[in-house]
Amino acid sequence: MLPLEHLQTSMARSVLAIEPLVSAKMLTAGKADPLARLRIYQNNTRSSLTAVLMAVFPVTVRLVDERFFRFVASEFIRRHPPVESRLAHYGAGFPRFLKTIDTLSDMPIVAETARLEWAIAEALDVASLPPRTLAEFDNTDLGPSLDILLQPSLRLIVSHWSILSVWTAHQQGAAVDHHSPWTRRSERVALWRAGDSVRLVLLDRANFAFRHSLNHGLGLEHATTRALALDPAFNLVSALVRLFGDGLVTNLRIAAHPLSN
Amino acid sequence: MPRAFQPLAIPASAGIGLRSPHIGEMLTRRPSAGWLEVHAENYMGDGAGVEALERLRQTYPLSVHGVGLSLGSARGVSPDHLERLRKVCERFQPDLVSEHLAWSVADGAYLNDLLPLRYDEEALAIVARNVATVQDTLNCQVLIENLSAYVAFADSSMNEAEFLAELVERTGCGLLLDVNNVQVSAHNLQYDAKAFIDALPVEAIGEIHLAGHATNHVGTDTVLIDDHGSRVPPVVWSLYQHAIDRLGPRPTLIEWDTDVPVLDVLLGEAMWADMLTASIMFNRKQAARQTATVTPQPMPTSLSFETETTTSMPVLAAFAAARAARPSAALPSIEEGYHAAA
Repeated sequence: MLPLEHLQTSMARSVLAIEPLVSAKMLTAGKADPLARLRIYQNNTRSSLTAVLMAVFPVTVRLVDERFFRFVASEFIRRHPPVESRLAHYGAGFPRFLKTIDTLSDMPIVAETARLEWAIAEALDVASLPPRTLAEFDNTDLGPSLDILLQPSLRLIVSHWSILSVWTAHQQGAAVDHHSPWTRRSERVALWRAGDSVRLVLLDRANFAFRHSLNHGLGLEHATTRALALDPAFNLVSALVRLFGDGLVTNLRIAAHPLSN
Repeated sequence: MPRAFQPLAIPASAGIGLRSPHIGEMLTRRPSAGWLEVHAENYMGDGAGVEALERLRQTYPLSVHGVGLSLGSARGVSPDHLERLRKVCERFQPDLVSEHLAWSVADGAYLNDLLPLRYDEEALAIVARNVATVQDTLNCQVLIENLSAYVAFADSSMNEAEFLAELVERTGCGLLLDVNNVQVSAHNLQYDAKAFIDALPVEAIGEIHLAGHATNHVGTDTVLIDDHGSRVPPVVWSLYQHAIDRLGPRPTLIEWDTDVPVLDVLLGEAMWADMLTASIMFNRKQAARQTATVTPQPMPTSLSFETETTTSMPVLAAFAAARAARPSAALPSIEEGYHAAA
């Protein structure tokens, strides 16, 4: 008789790998074939995890057709099953996995859109802190070196493909033009949780670099320098007003770190 | 710093499993639902659902039901996952906490399904150790749920009910009797569902689950699939009646996880569970009165658990409101429903 740990390992591999590694003699199922019953567990695991992926990547499903998505998801689940039971964290590796699928090699926008959808899923599972307003700091001497703390749900994504345009075109109510080709056009996207939905905006290079630097805790001075290097016309006041207006600022504090580049 | 909630005890009446499509309506309507149960794993992040549950927790008694601890794993429970569960309990301060007699983690993978154990002394020692760890960490008693199964292990040296009874004895845990699971497993593995219920220690059962299942035909095999995707079927109501007859009223949850219908359907199923329990208790009281009239009995010195129970006002109010709202769709009488279920 196998020790329990070996038995569970064999069962787990059987459930994931489709072929039975557990001997029928070890199982009973009334008058039914135990190995046929074992397939119920295989199906439960595959279908429930596929449902998880379909919920996280709905636009990707529409881009590739549901049957093909299910096939790819099945392969992903077999090769990369979840390592923990918190399924909100399952699917992080799926966009990268899509890049390895030969059939999709001439459609890189599929994996890129999946990357955007994973960022949305991540943002939805993160706290939304009370936003601060500019008026709160009217009489505060903040000094020259300042850290601006942003919403923890803020995600910044740059892609060589028009991922936000594709994503937006597949939202409910949007008119989808099936004849428009997917364009190779860089898009820089900022997204963050707002209540039970996500706000997504396109940014230019300078504003993207500005928010990216702040989001990495590099401070206002560094962020401004980076933005100005990319666009000498970068308007700091306008960028700050927009940052507060978007509800992204959760706190200001005097920077503790030295200026770094 | 977790918010301090007023303690709200879960009553011995019906509640519903909170599912994401219903959260908005629950927040705006605040319907009469005796209590709520949530899957712990859905509230381990910081999304909008977590904020919504904090608001609902102010109104409704709460049960936290884990699906991912894998209490039957030979390697033990994940300390990280247990810590996440502890934080969920700290945050929402539930009145009940429950998990499954199953395993779902092995070989570094989480299978997202509840697999059966080989019921023997080795497994009992492992599960007892894991349950003790969980109870020590959460600092509360945990209810352990019986499993719906499609296979069993030939080398098991005891049955699931004996295993659960011994687990209660060793750890002081409680039990969550999933009546639908009993029906599914009893059919699939061919044993007596009522005998299973009768073999469990009565006093340990702190909660009951009710749900629907699917019937699949594969060749000559008819297998019941525990999909939680339909109304509670008559055969499960009948088993529930048997359980209540034996146990008296218990907190009873309507579970629905696939093809989730509108909220009122869940509330209606919960109301039906309350009515069935009330009718059983009423009939029992009537029978006791008749017996007392025929043969005078000495006055009881204490009331039993069952005779103290009354139908709660929210349920009656909900019933009245539902009748007023749908005069054409009259519900069958309790007696008719009782016979249909039986």
